[in-house]
Amino acid sequence: MASRLVQGQEGETGGRLADPPISYPIIPAGEQTVWADVSPLIASACNDLQDGQLIHGENFSLFAAMSALEIMDPKMDAGVEKCGYYSIEEAIENNVAPVPLSLNPTLDVQRVIDVIDHLFSCEATWYKGHTLAQTVFSCIYLLRIERTSSHALLHSYCRIMRATCNAVISVVSDSRTHEEEDLFTMAYGLPLKGEGDEKCLSILNSVEETISRQLRACKAQSLKKKQLEDIEPLQSNPDLEEGYCRALLCRLRFRKHYYLVLTSMKKPQGKGLELARKHVASCLSELTHITKSQEFLRALSYGFHQDDIQSSTTASGCRPIGFDASLNNRFSAPTPPRATHILSWKEAVSYFQKLLSDLDFVCSLNTDLVLDDVFCFIVQFQKPQPDLVARAHLQILLIQDGKLYGKEFFHDIISRELGLPELTKGKEHQKNEFIVQLGQLIINLLKILCANTAWQRRKLGKILQDWSVLSLQLEIAFKREIGETLNVMVDENMSTKVSKHLLRWTEERTYWIASRFLMLGFELELYSPYDYCMVYWFMYLVFMKLLEKIQLQTAANNENSQRKGKKKKDHGKDQIRDASFSSSTLLIHCYICLSEGLAMILAALRNESKAFHMVGPFNGEEERFIQHFDLLLKAHVPEHATYYLFKESTGHARISSIIKDNCFREAQKIITSLRGSYAGNSDKLIELQQLEQVAERNRVALSVIDQIGARDPSLTVSFEFTHHPHFAIAVIKRS
Amino acid sequence: MEAAAPVVVVDAAGTTEVEGEESEVFSPSDVEYISYGGEHHLPLIMGLVDQELSEPYSIFTYRYFVYLWPNLTFLAFHRGRCVGTVVSKIGEHRNTFRGYIAMLVVIKPYRGRGIATELVTRSIRVMMESGCEEVALEAEVTNKGALALYGRLGFIRAKRLYRYYLNGVDAFRLKLLFPQWHHSPTTNKDGVHLHDNQYGETQIVP
Repeated sequence: MASRLVQGQEGETGGRLADPPISYPIIPAGEQTVWADVSPLIASACNDLQDGQLIHGENFSLFAAMSALEIMDPKMDAGVEKCGYYSIEEAIENNVAPVPLSLNPTLDVQRVIDVIDHLFSCEATWYKGHTLAQTVFSCIYLLRIERTSSHALLHSYCRIMRATCNAVISVVSDSRTHEEEDLFTMAYGLPLKGEGDEKCLSILNSVEETISRQLRACKAQSLKKKQLEDIEPLQSNPDLEEGYCRALLCRLRFRKHYYLVLTSMKKPQGKGLELARKHVASCLSELTHITKSQEFLRALSYGFHQDDIQSSTTASGCRPIGFDASLNNRFSAPTPPRATHILSWKEAVSYFQKLLSDLDFVCSLNTDLVLDDVFCFIVQFQKPQPDLVARAHLQILLIQDGKLYGKEFFHDIISRELGLPELTKGKEHQKNEFIVQLGQLIINLLKILCANTAWQRRKLGKILQDWSVLSLQLEIAFKREIGETLNVMVDENMSTKVSKHLLRWTEERTYWIASRFLMLGFELELYSPYDYCMVYWFMYLVFMKLLEKIQLQTAANNENSQRKGKKKKDHGKDQIRDASFSSSTLLIHCYICLSEGLAMILAALRNESKAFHMVGPFNGEEERFIQHFDLLLKAHVPEHATYYLFKESTGHARISSIIKDNCFREAQKIITSLRGSYAGNSDKLIELQQLEQVAERNRVALSVIDQIGARDPSLTVSFEFTHHPHFAIAVIKRS
Repeated sequence: MEAAAPVVVVDAAGTTEVEGEESEVFSPSDVEYISYGGEHHLPLIMGLVDQELSEPYSIFTYRYFVYLWPNLTFLAFHRGRCVGTVVSKIGEHRNTFRGYIAMLVVIKPYRGRGIATELVTRSIRVMMESGCEEVALEAEVTNKGALALYGRLGFIRAKRLYRYYLNGVDAFRLKLLFPQWHHSPTTNKDGVHLHDNQYGETQIVP
């Protein structure tokens, strides 16, 4: 480079030798400066360098240099690609996004529908985790919305798209789920803010109204009825008028109802949830009409068809005009230099159907639920693996301004639900502090439970320490109180009860977190079959502790109600609470049986036939145990759960003794008794069904293994999660 | 977060999948394993990794690893041709002295014959001898070959990383813990032998 520059100079500005046909601006030498040719110097310096030597500045760091981008490397330099236009203006000049989309009214309408469909596919792609710039805002009509103002239909649709994007981004930003939402919400350089977007609904409504009238008119005409009004048709082919009107109407209506879902859900304190559900139902209904319209649109042949009809991003199968995915690479939000694969239109429809179903579940939240039931609700919500948009909405609904549903502070909720008497200052100050701390932990826990399961599990492991510490502090405070109350006075007795209740609740929740941590490991496929035995063993321990805490809680409640001499109307509420306690106790008991049974089968197989036993070249089972349960061990949840204890407990397991213990049969008995309590609750009944299958199949497998003999070389046992996500089923193969 | 160098294992060592006519016929004993010897090895490593990977690495990424930890990079040669490489590092990570496997590549015709396992094993052995407490790496959840390879070596899947890769695929953080050797026996003032177990709890040794 330097030598080329210098070749054109003779120490004077502008003087150039002939030769290089390349013309580029010469940087003129200044008054005090002169150009000098250093090529020979650089050449000899290069020759002087040994292999592996590097010339660098003082602050050079190899670690930092790893983040360097090599300009013009297509893998790193997003702007180097030669394809595409250099600017939006250039694309517009080249008629990439004409307004109107066609001078032929029929073609214009068809093309608008294609734009709508492609935007829909882009939107779903964005929600799935791609950048806004490479999806929805690859649309030139959105990038230059002013240009569309002469086209009422396109303009109104663009406006509501923009408003919808804003609404979704604000919910996801506010929830701060610590995921890749920074990628999701990245809108730097994109024209997202629009004046008057609050009016977008009324603009859309008027367009919808017009098309409705056009539809009425064309139907009247086909029935040879007299038309009530003189209205210009949507497009110029009377045979296609009804089809196009319908195709447009359902799309506009979907857009309107979806926007209303978002605005209703945003209403504070969950006030708009019921209304949101109505709009969700409308959205789903319009999606059905949209799907039906595909037949009509596909049949019309015009335009350029997309290569593969299955992966088409529009209902018609034609390539949409007005989009350029590479435009934003050069000047806006981070756009990784690789093509984003836009979902097909069919996939986008499925995606939105699922999203709407997840949002509907969020809206079904009863804001009168007790805290324990809120946790169950979130767990149920997470079962179909909802995406970021749905999860962010749930989190925002649950926690607003540090209050549950924006209504009540958590420390007030705790006090109320645990039946704690009003706390006064002074002596109770410390207890107040614990309750405030507990409130903070609960807020944090709720947010974590709303995150994606991978991140959620990591955080659940980390917060075990905090919960364990609080439990310990409560226990110390409680014991100190017992020690101090030598003269039992009514007030102090109550105070002790408060501390005990608080302690039990916290401990119970701590073990609940531990159980979630362990079970999510199955969902995330973190365990190999070699680890199952120790995992089920640990789960067994944790569930036992959880059961213990729940039973202590129930006993304390009963004592409480007897002491207080509860009035009749409170009995009802207590009865419900007791019933739910007893069914949750039974369920945990069921989990205990299954965990124990599975741990023992695996241990027996290992002991008798060396199956599921692995020793690596660098470490053994003890190291894997320590790693898997590291966070639990550090938090002492539970205490004394050592590898030594694991070996002791499982070292003598034999198939014959497991059969005698009958864990799976016991599980089945519990499941039978639970069916009554869960009547009417379809989610719980589904799980019961799954657990029943697990118990039955394992019971049978156990007896088969017993008959064949665990040492039989023809016997292969594998463990599959075909029925329940956390409890495996032993599958037997004989070779 | 470690250096942004995800692991690629392109060798399904030990599994029964061996590519058909693309396989090279050779005896494992003909494969030579050499520790990184200098600049002349760098283009070989870069060539292999660039060829097999879509992740962009600048030359500085390679230099970072091989300059600072040349003893952790190994190359596999067959008849003078470089057919595989492993690139690793060691460092302090949250009070743990930890090895990290950054890149692992074996070219297609040589896969399924244990070359990747051998490369990784050598690197891990050096880490162990250097006093590392554990070894870590990331692998795509869909990379069955890598997961099987590391699983056999004793790695567990410590974490799942949601949408870790730009194509939206999740990753597992794989970790191997070396047996703890800090059971240093000491005697308390009463002459009773004490012993610290791996959780830092002091116990009496009978």
